[in-house]
Order: sequence, then structure tokens, then C-alpha cells
Amino acid sequence: MNLSPLHLCLLFSSALFCVGLIGALSRGNSILVLLGVELMLNAGNINLIAFWRFGPAPAEGTGVLFVLFAIAIAAAEAAVGLALVIAVHRHQRNIRLQEANHLRG
Amino acid sequence: MNGVSYVELWRALLPEGCLTLGALLVLAIDLAAPASRPAAARRGAATALALMALAASAWATVRAGTDGAAFGGVFALDRLTLVTRLGVIGLALLTVALAGNLSRLANAAEYLALILFATAGFTLMAASNQLLLAFLALELASLSLYVLAGFDKTRPESAEAGLKYFLFGGVSAAFMLFGFSLLYGLTGSIAFPEIARQLAAQPPSALLVVALVMVLVAFGFKAAAAPFHLWAPDVYEGAPVGSAALIASASKLAGVAFFARLLWAGIGAPVAATWLPVLAILAAASLVLGNVAALAQSNVRRLLAYSAISHAGALLLGVMVAGRSPGSVVYYAVTYGLATVGAFGVIAALEAAGPSQRIEDLAGLHRRSPFLAGCLAIYILSLAGIPPLAGFLGKFAVFADALRAGGLTGPTGWLAFLAIAMGAVGLYYYLLILKQAFVAAPKNGAAKIFIPPAARLALGVAAVAIIVFGVAPGLILGAF
Repeated sequence: MNLSPLHLCLLFSSALFCVGLIGALSRGNSILVLLGVELMLNAGNINLIAFWRFGPAPAEGTGVLFVLFAIAIAAAEAAVGLALVIAVHRHQRNIRLQEANHLRG
Repeated sequence: MNGVSYVELWRALLPEGCLTLGALLVLAIDLAAPASRPAAARRGAATALALMALAASAWATVRAGTDGAAFGGVFALDRLTLVTRLGVIGLALLTVALAGNLSRLANAAEYLALILFATAGFTLMAASNQLLLAFLALELASLSLYVLAGFDKTRPESAEAGLKYFLFGGVSAAFMLFGFSLLYGLTGSIAFPEIARQLAAQPPSALLVVALVMVLVAFGFKAAAAPFHLWAPDVYEGAPVGSAALIASASKLAGVAFFARLLWAGIGAPVAATWLPVLAILAAASLVLGNVAALAQSNVRRLLAYSAISHAGALLLGVMVAGRSPGSVVYYAVTYGLATVGAFGVIAALEAAGPSQRIEDLAGLHRRSPFLAGCLAIYILSLAGIPPLAGFLGKFAVFADALRAGGLTGPTGWLAFLAIAMGAVGLYYYLLILKQAFVAAPKNGAAKIFIPPAARLALGVAAVAIIVFGVAPGLILGAF
């Protein structure tokens, strides 16, 4: 099997996305779920970089610019997420999602 | 991008500029106000500023016009943009006026600034014609909404609602980014028209299916469609009432308009066979699950959430048939938003008068406040789709488009029949609410309800708008 660099990058990013998704779905600690989400976002970033680097028009720089914005968004998202984790921690003294169950029905 | 005109950029971005400037002013003035000033005065000043920023943004939206693409095709200034922008600004105006029990929230100015930032995200979503701008707009709106949902620091439910909304939203944003990256890889472009041209020229591939499924997962989350609806009941119940109203109304409208553009103008009709079936499954699941699960609810806010899920099914059906004209689905989303904002406004007034989460707490509303009960009847009957209210004509327009698109026996035709059958189920729980409000006797000691003048005006405006749009649907439908 002869894999081009683009294929290898896509395989890597797909694996990263799956690892992140499994982490986000299976972890009970909200910070670890947040880590999983960040892995998934980074998988998308790797895709964009790979498609830009091995794509037909690397001179345009579209993929790289997209990634720069996406990284900024991911940082903002982490900030908001951690703030919400702290808000939950203030009330229940831990950050386990299993115990965040005031709302149900 | 050579030869782009910054005058054009200014014209296209002025609505968002007004909102952002307004938000910063709200924050700055609140920061500069001496601490000795009473909280009510500061809250009043912030509210007035926020309302002015929204009005200025509406003016800039009308001024931006509808003459096609702007700034090298990054923005689409068409009728869909115009109507959606005005719709979300109007819904945000009503939310600001109705969020009457802001007094319960500390830092009202920050709350209003976040509403303005979220609205800027919504209007940008409506105008974006390119993947990067779309992603940024969606995240601006979503990040503001996460904070708004968790804004009430005194209640554990609010923090929990915010965290749940954030975690679901974060996963869906990652799905969306991955899907967008695959679309970029497949076509080498992030501009909607170019993506559509490239996709039409190449044979459908497995990668395209993966990309579309990922984008649709994100859409399903944004629209609270089953099976991605799990956040909705918790957020509707736990979030502060103004945040819940904004999430339920303006965010829905912006999401529907954005995805209608992305799917029809960006991905295109030639490859519609790859994404229409996925959308059809989501729509059918939402219609059934939303209506059936709502029957078991005893909490008004959760009931509204499940009603929102069932309406998401109809909205998805509307997006499926939006190829010729998005008019019917936008009309549906606007009128649905009006009714939902109004219903949350009634809940806000009730909660200011005392704890009221259960349906029984509505008992005797017609005695406690005839005005509130009358408005609630209009909103709920519009949600149920009773003529001549706007909710009925929204359903009628979407179903008519569905039957026209696929005939009686086409997939969209069957979905329309399913939606009509499920609408009959829905009537039951909507009437349960009205039965409590109009037939049941008030509980002992239930006092009359005081409604602040601004909230009274907003409730009246929402009710009148539902009737006017119902009697004269051409006001919105005729714009397309």
C-alpha cells in the first residue's frame, strides 16, 4: 500500500478526532471532556493544514488562515468552558458530571 | 482578494458594528458609573443603551440593502439576510424588554452586553457566505449563549445548564470544524458558490458523505433536533429566563437561515441526494420524539423545550424544501420565535411573582392577570398551529412547499403528513397549559401579578405581531 503524505495526515487527524470523541463521551470529569473537545478541534485544524499544504493552491494560504482563527476560537472556548466548570464547582464542590444532575425529567 | 472595497465592507458590517459598539458602551458606562448610584438606575441606563444599539443595527441592516454579494463574496446581502437579520434583531429587542426580572441577576450590564454580542453573531451567521466567516459567527453566538445560560451564579441549575450546553456545543463545534475542513479539502475553496460549483463537477465520494454528516450533526445540535436534543430540556429549565428565550428564538432563526444557505447555496442541489435523507431522518425523529416526550412533562419550561424539539423537526423539513425559496422556513422560524419569546416572557412575569416551574403554577392565571393569560393563549395557540395565528400559516407554508417539492407520496410529503399527525398530539399538551391558565381556579393566596411597563409593551407587541403576521403573511413571505 502506497500512502501519500496527505493520506497519512488524514489518517492521523481521523484517529485524533476519534480519540477526542471517545474521551469526550466517556469521561466523567468535565475538564477531561474539555480536553477531548480540544483534541477534536485540533484534528480539524490538522486537516485544514494538510489540505492547504498538499492542495492545488498552497499560495493562497486559505487553510492556514482558517487554522489561525480556529485556534483563537478554541482558546476562547477553553476560557468559557473553564469558567463554567468553576461555576459548577462553586455549587457542588467537585466537577464530576455524574453529580451535575439537578436538571432531569 | 484584489480590488475589494472597504466601503462595501463597512456597509455590510455596519449592523454588527452597531451591536458590538453598543455592547462595549454598555460595559464601559456601567464600569464608569459611580458605585453610589442605585442598581436600578444603572440597569435602566444599560437597558436603554442596549435597545438603542439594537435599533441602530436594524437601521443599518435596512440600509445595507439586498444587492447581492459584498466584499469579494464573503457576505451575501440578499433578502434572506435582510429578513433574518431584522428577525433576530427584533427577537433580541423583545428578549431585552422581557427579561424583566433582570433585577434577580447581578451585573445586568454584562448580561445585556452578552445578549448584544450573541445578536451580532446571529446577524453575521445570516450574512455569511463563506466557511470561515460562518464558523466565526456561529462560535461568537454560541460562546455568548453558553455564558448567558450559566449567568445566574446564585442557582446551581444555571451553572449546570451552562456547562451542559457548553459541552454539547463544544463537541458539535468540533464536528462542524472537521466537516468544514473536509469540504475545503474536497473543493479547495471556502466560498459557498465555489464549493457548490466544485461539488457539482465531481462524482459523489465517501469523503463528501462524511463531511456532510458531520456538518448535519452540528446543525442538529444547533436546532435541537433529535437525537442531538439532550441539552435542550436542561438548558431551557436551568438557564435564566432571558437566556432561555434567546436560545429558543433568535438562535433558532439564525441557525435555520444559515444552514439553509450553507446546504442549498454552499453544498448545492446536485449533491442533495447525499444529505436530504439524513435531514429527513433527523426531522422525523424530532417530530415524533418532541411531541411524545412533551406529553409526560410537568415543568412548563421543559414542556416548551420538547415543543421546541418538535418544531425543530418542522424547521428541518422546511430547510429540506428551501431550495426554491427559503421564504416559508424563515417565516416559520420568525413566527415560532415570536411565540416562544412571548411564552418565556409570561414565565418571567410569573417567576418574578413567585416560584413557578410546574404547569399547576399557572392555575387561575386569568384571574391573577387577564392580560398575561390572554397573551399566553395567543402564544400557545400559535405554537399549536391554530388559525388565524401566524403559527398556523407557518406550518401551512412549509407543508405546502413540502408537498410541492415531492408530491403527495414523496419523502417530504410523508414528512408533512407525519408533522400534521404529530401536530394533533401536540395540541393535547398545549391545551393542558391553557386549561390550567383559564379553567383551573387560582390557588389560595395567589396574588395579582405585577408586570413592568416595558415587559407589558413587549408582550403586547409579540402578541399583536403574531396576529398581524397571521392575517397578513405576505409581510414576510412577500419579501422573498
